[in-house]
Amino acid sequence: MKFKAGAKSELTFVGSLFALGVLVFWDTWRSGLPEINLTISPKLFPYVVSALLMLLSSILFIQVLRGDLAVPEGLEPGDKIEKSDLRTFLVVLASLFAYLLLVERGGFVIANSVTFVGISYSFGNKNLVKATGIAVLLSTIIYFSFTKFLHVALPSGIFKGLM
Amino acid sequence: MFGLLGTFLGTLVGVLPGIGPALAIALLLPITYTVSPSSALIMFAAIYYGAMYGGSTTSILLNTPGESGSVITALEGNKMARNGRAGAALATAAIGSFVAGTIATLILAFTAPTIADWAIKVGSAEYVALMLVAFSTVSSLLGSSQIRGFLSLAVGLVLGLVGADLQSGLSRLTFGNDAALEGIETVTVIVSIFALGEALYIASRFKETGWKIIPMKGRALMTRDDWKRSWKPWLRGTAIGFPLGIIPAGGSEVPTFLSYSVEKSLSKNKGEFGNGAIEGVAGPEAANNANAAGALVPLLALGLPTSATAAVILVAFQTYQIQPGPLLFTTNPDLIWTLIASLFIGNTLLLILNLPLVRFWVQLLKIPRTYLFAGIVSFAMLGAYALNTSTFDLSVAIAIGIVGFLFRRYGVPITPLILGLILGPNLELQFRRALQISAGDYGTLIASPLSKVLYLTLFLVIVAPNAIKLVKKLKAKSNK
Repeated sequence: MKFKAGAKSELTFVGSLFALGVLVFWDTWRSGLPEINLTISPKLFPYVVSALLMLLSSILFIQVLRGDLAVPEGLEPGDKIEKSDLRTFLVVLASLFAYLLLVERGGFVIANSVTFVGISYSFGNKNLVKATGIAVLLSTIIYFSFTKFLHVALPSGIFKGLM
Repeated sequence: MFGLLGTFLGTLVGVLPGIGPALAIALLLPITYTVSPSSALIMFAAIYYGAMYGGSTTSILLNTPGESGSVITALEGNKMARNGRAGAALATAAIGSFVAGTIATLILAFTAPTIADWAIKVGSAEYVALMLVAFSTVSSLLGSSQIRGFLSLAVGLVLGLVGADLQSGLSRLTFGNDAALEGIETVTVIVSIFALGEALYIASRFKETGWKIIPMKGRALMTRDDWKRSWKPWLRGTAIGFPLGIIPAGGSEVPTFLSYSVEKSLSKNKGEFGNGAIEGVAGPEAANNANAAGALVPLLALGLPTSATAAVILVAFQTYQIQPGPLLFTTNPDLIWTLIASLFIGNTLLLILNLPLVRFWVQLLKIPRTYLFAGIVSFAMLGAYALNTSTFDLSVAIAIGIVGFLFRRYGVPITPLILGLILGPNLELQFRRALQISAGDYGTLIASPLSKVLYLTLFLVIVAPNAIKLVKKLKAKSNK
């Protein structure tokens, strides 16, 4: 069978939504009911939602198979759909994970700066020294304005005692 | 004070390209965590209008509408800017927004209590019907494909399921994670699906595309002729926008398009449309703002958000343990009037602040894209983290960011997801409550006349158009 360009990846996407429906169904099915008398079981709603997901994704799957492909946001129907740049995608993702890993271990200023520089780089910034300067300055300003003026506690990390 | 700060911040964030009003408000949420509820409300009202106005500036000067409501403004306004009339376009947008906002807020002040009086009699069963109608209209009106809209809604409902069930304590979809028992934070989802999703999407797909800023000459002033051509569209835009905001018609897309086509057909200078007609900016901008105020009616009176922006405001209220709905008018009337008063103040401040400051906002557009997105993303992560100071929220944020990317890539609209996430648990609660009262009799769901009318509407909106399409298809086939 021959597919239009991009159809395979869209089928994967729609398929994963179907899988999500199955997951919801399975999770609801395996959990035990608490011993309270309820008119409506807490399982009813999840079952309905999972059925809805599976039904809708099946319909969309057929539509895509027939060639009714999605139009990515920001494009007009008929525009050429280019492949996503996987490398950049991963750089953005890595910057996000860096935040997750660093914010409590290294502190807010470090985590925020690393993420800032990472995102800036992924959008094509070559001047990383300047980006780092801006990042550190900005993060420090945010840190102090949140902790001192807004009284929102942010982790100080390795600068504990200094800040 | 808070109003001034709110207007300033709202416009500041709203003017940044790629940030629509919903994201602008969500990003500014952490700032309001520690101020008192009433000051926070004042700030929100101001941020709301500020962000709306900021969006129109970007549309006119950069041709990058941040949300569907500004698409039309970009269409005509950007042409005007190219003809060297950026000042007039910005001015008519600002004054039009002010006129529409003031009139709409006035109507809001008079109608909301009446609707709330009526709404207090609405029972659980009718609520179920109301929510189903809201779900269906928003899912089917947004975007090009109905089925994708409903899929987005279903994913939102799944996210809403996560956590311990409130009535039985049954943990659903938590997979043994303790942090997940509390459920998924709505703010985290909104911030990450807009900000992180957008960053992933733009970075990996539109790397080379830059923006062309159209330089603004002169001041943001209108000539007498501009005034003469603008005031009627402002009023007509308000008249179109407000009622459409009250009914769940899926945000500001429909009213702005409607206003545009009305202006086009009434105009004496039809030839100018498409080449920068001031009516084409004045009308839709007014419609957009009036629509935003109209959306506050169901939000305040029924607790039902009808657009992404209204949904964010609902969440903002909930962080202060304020539950919008008919009861709010009896339990906490002060708060409602504070909000309505601050809407007036915010609107006026906007006009005073923005006409002189317009040059400053234009400067903001010159921030390089690399730093802009870096700033947006890191602020979004801060927002997700600061809510509960928990890294679990950050992992959720990243996952939702990826979902946001996939949705954009495969043309799935995002607003239904947010609506599903917020209203899903509410729908389940009301549904169960209704059936508990009726002792398990499903007939209660369609017992009242209101429910019957609502389900009929539902049928007309969803089933009828598809049936007509099918019949037409069959006819076309038999004619061949």
